[in-house]
Amino acid sequence: MSGHDLKLVKTFAYKRPPIDRGYANQTLYLNLASLDIAARPVTQQMKDLFIGGKGFDLWLLWNAVTPQTRWNDPENPVCIACGPLGGTPAYPGSGKSIAATLSPLTGAVIDSNVGGYFGPYLKFSGFDALEIQGRSERDIVVYVDGIDQTVQIFTATGLPEDAYKLSEVLTEHFAQGKPRNISVVSAGPGAKNTYFGCLNFSWYDPKRKRARYKQAGRGGVGTVFAHKGLKALVARWDSGISVDTNSPADRERLKKVAKLHSKEIVELDPKQNEMATIGTTHIVTIMNDHDLLPTQNFRFGSHREAPNLGQAVFRRLFDPGYDGCWMGCTVACSHGVRDFTPLSGPYRGQKVFVDGPEYETVAGCGSLLGIFDAHTVIELNFYCDAYGLDTISVGTATAFAMECFELGLINARHTDGLELYFGNRSAALEIVHQMARGDGFGRIVGQGVRRMKTIFAKEFGADPQIMADIGMESKGLEFSEYMTKESLAQQGGYGLALKGPQHDEAWLIFLDMVHNFMPTFEQKAEALHWFPMFRTWFSLCGLCKLPWNDIIPEDNKSTPEPAKVIKHVQWYAEYFSAVTGRESAPDDLIRMSEAVYNFQRIFNLRMGFGRRAHDSLPYRAVGPVTELEYESRAERYDQQLAETYQVAIAGKSTSEKVALLRRFREQQYEKLKDAVYHRRGWTSDGIPTLATVKRLGIDFPEVVALLQANGVAA
Amino acid sequence: MIRVAGKEHPWWAGMTVADLLQECGEPESYPVVRINDHYVSRPNFAVTPVPDDAEVFLIPMIAGG
Repeated sequence: MSGHDLKLVKTFAYKRPPIDRGYANQTLYLNLASLDIAARPVTQQMKDLFIGGKGFDLWLLWNAVTPQTRWNDPENPVCIACGPLGGTPAYPGSGKSIAATLSPLTGAVIDSNVGGYFGPYLKFSGFDALEIQGRSERDIVVYVDGIDQTVQIFTATGLPEDAYKLSEVLTEHFAQGKPRNISVVSAGPGAKNTYFGCLNFSWYDPKRKRARYKQAGRGGVGTVFAHKGLKALVARWDSGISVDTNSPADRERLKKVAKLHSKEIVELDPKQNEMATIGTTHIVTIMNDHDLLPTQNFRFGSHREAPNLGQAVFRRLFDPGYDGCWMGCTVACSHGVRDFTPLSGPYRGQKVFVDGPEYETVAGCGSLLGIFDAHTVIELNFYCDAYGLDTISVGTATAFAMECFELGLINARHTDGLELYFGNRSAALEIVHQMARGDGFGRIVGQGVRRMKTIFAKEFGADPQIMADIGMESKGLEFSEYMTKESLAQQGGYGLALKGPQHDEAWLIFLDMVHNFMPTFEQKAEALHWFPMFRTWFSLCGLCKLPWNDIIPEDNKSTPEPAKVIKHVQWYAEYFSAVTGRESAPDDLIRMSEAVYNFQRIFNLRMGFGRRAHDSLPYRAVGPVTELEYESRAERYDQQLAETYQVAIAGKSTSEKVALLRRFREQQYEKLKDAVYHRRGWTSDGIPTLATVKRLGIDFPEVVALLQANGVAA
Repeated sequence: MIRVAGKEHPWWAGMTVADLLQECGEPESYPVVRINDHYVSRPNFAVTPVPDDAEVFLIPMIAGG
């Protein structure tokens, strides 16, 4: 028994609009200080230009904040939206929510694409998006009941702190005997005490009779959520959902294309990546074999013990059964570990169910920390989720602190006695527990790599130059878990990403390095235009991108552009046309994204970012920082210096060769920026031109004035 | 005899993954193959033997993340 009490303080009754071609045509506004609740119309312009999902989030944010707004100001909203295709049970990967806010890590917009049932339930309850402003001193629970057509605000006491127990208690509280009708969004104690808090979105697993979780991980959306005093959001909707629930424009056309894609995945996934069985854990050894698995804070790309974290291990550990984070998804990759017993923390010795891990968590909380023990990775995964912490930022920030410790930049006096060497499993776990409590050295690590660099330099006297090179953040966001030293295109994929180095914009490593599909700057620039645009489109529509290009048609390699998996792109155009009635070809999908993408870049500019200087990378993402790194792959680097850059390397010291390689590689990255900016229709300073914003229809007076104020000529 | 992408293929003692892909006319298209439950990447193709009776899957692996 949790002994909680929910006190109703505000009720808003509304008439649920019928869903029309994927849209509810209104958004829900809440203010936690004034307790205002309102339904606001979705305009035709919003649908035409911003489509939905992340696009709606951006538009709501743009109108809610000013250039002076900071992440912890009450006017900074947390926005959550689905999308016009979201909530379709027949088409794989169609249940995503997109959460967005101004990030505590970057100061700019962060967006995170997440599974679970909340977004579709919110939409079917009558709201395409949710915008929450204000801040409460008391714990608040917001309840959107689409069946009874009410929105209620409760003050809460006695609720559990951690996300796992909290979602379980609230699911039971609101379920009225039907727990599958409930989805809960919650953060956790770590979200309160760090800058990279995540949100847990629940979905009820009827077979295992428990709430399951997916995380909106990146950029601290959970920190903003917790700072507002929000304990949880709860949505209730009738789980009896069909293709008709979205009221598609052409039901038969939708069913036809959905069946094609769903059937293909059922047929091909077992022959390819087996995601329905092992999730994304197959990537671990593949990355390791190609020297792309980050180990020891991105120093190296492989380790002999990496197979201990590979799919062969998780194939045995994952609990068999259907693991779709949205109804009917045939990719069904959201696996978990049953009856896991943590060795530390408040759950020590108790059996728990752990949702995950996925590849990013395995790499971030495993190899990156020099930890090659699946049990520790699962335990870190469990506590990060329960505490509301982003496993990627936890891993990358902790790895940075570990390398600083090993280099002697910080020592045990600074870490409260923690011996933070790579591979120290108990220290890694203790850091996470400290983050949740907001004490010890974990309180510093929880501020992220960028702030740690400042603290270590100012308070501990650490060398800022070496920390600038090895601190794996860009724009303030910690890197996700891929090595980029040998892929210039992926350096762009991270460095030019709007929100910071997260691979959801562009994952080009294999196309660039392994398949050599883009040998020239122009081809790399084209890829860094097309792929971020198409990947953005999934978050506009409420979709997962995995069905697009992680399971590939057998005849794909004989198509003109195999990298794009154009057969599936055509299916997505068909899917969009069938639901919305807006007839669209593949190129139209790119144009939809282009408008939103450029708008987000301009939003960054409005917040004081969004220029060329903000697209910089720590040198470790580009090449070897230390002699140790160089010498570990000396043959590769020597060959590049001699053959690619025509350097006479005989007699040169390793230190000299590190410096030479750095000069060449940094020049290459700057050349790449020029090529990409040109392709995207931006100035050489990385700002969209007036011609670009006019072409895309986002030339609002405020946008044009902002560009002109930043020196963009007519 | 082994099965490659669902089709029967003759096996010989000492066959490596690189040999197999050469015989299939696909030396460059696939950076990863799966032999039963075991994933093998291109850097290891030349040194990884294919066992008799194996089920071999060709993984396009053009994307991820």
